[in-house]
Amino acid sequence: MYAWIWRQLPGRTPARAGALALLVLAVLAALWFWVFPWAALHLPIDASGFSG
Amino acid sequence: MTAGIAMNGWVVRQVIRAAGEILLTAGLVGLLFLGYLVWGTGLRAASAQRALRSELNQEWRQVPGRGDAVGASPERFDVTTGQPFAFIRIPAFGKQWQYTLIQGTALAQLNVSPGHVPGTQWPGQLGNFAVAGHRVTAGNPFWSLPSMTDGDLVYIQTRLNDYTYRVIGKKWVAPTDTAVLDPVPGHPRQRPGRRLISLITCDPAWTGTHRVIVTGVLVAAKPR
Repeated sequence: MYAWIWRQLPGRTPARAGALALLVLAVLAALWFWVFPWAALHLPIDASGFSG
Repeated sequence: MTAGIAMNGWVVRQVIRAAGEILLTAGLVGLLFLGYLVWGTGLRAASAQRALRSELNQEWRQVPGRGDAVGASPERFDVTTGQPFAFIRIPAFGKQWQYTLIQGTALAQLNVSPGHVPGTQWPGQLGNFAVAGHRVTAGNPFWSLPSMTDGDLVYIQTRLNDYTYRVIGKKWVAPTDTAVLDPVPGHPRQRPGRRLISLITCDPAWTGTHRVIVTGVLVAAKPR
């Protein structure tokens, strides 16, 4: 999977490394700011209210 | 024939490698999510608290309210879900411990702030003013709730009044035991004669199996 992604990236090694770093950062940001807050809203971790 | 076997071996290796990479990635994302729950939710809640605090202070400056602390015309609370209406301070949790109370106790509210359980009474009123908060995540507001002891004080500041409650008891119940929210906890049909506060969180931490309820009684109410 990662080898395949690496092959799809254009340019020489430094350019590829930079692009990969950007890609990883974008994925991390999407997780942290969108996916995780959404998951925290829907997983009953520490549901301190009453379930009636 | 040999080429075919070699080809098969290549495919198997590729599949195993891809599966391994996916599992490793899932593990890392899981760890990151744990990090988010422990620190990220705290950061988000802290910035939401700053916004709520200034929102409430601004609102209190702008719109004058009317009503007594516990007199003939009690203080009225007219808030919608998610809106702030009071500050809570519990010195037993630390000098700096203060939160803005908002209306509602769905996860959307608890992830921001401890909230007033809809349908229960309001600060100072006869009956039971119930407040639920996260034990863990969102800054762990009620982390120390299970270690509160009788005599600890809880301060509620509203637009008009300062209310002081003194803790008189603590118990553990099932999440389905909503009788603790009754005006007279445990006695749904009795008329309330006391002004109580119930602080609610989950126990053990990180689980939804039990609720710990700390009950206090109003000992002072004065205009601020």
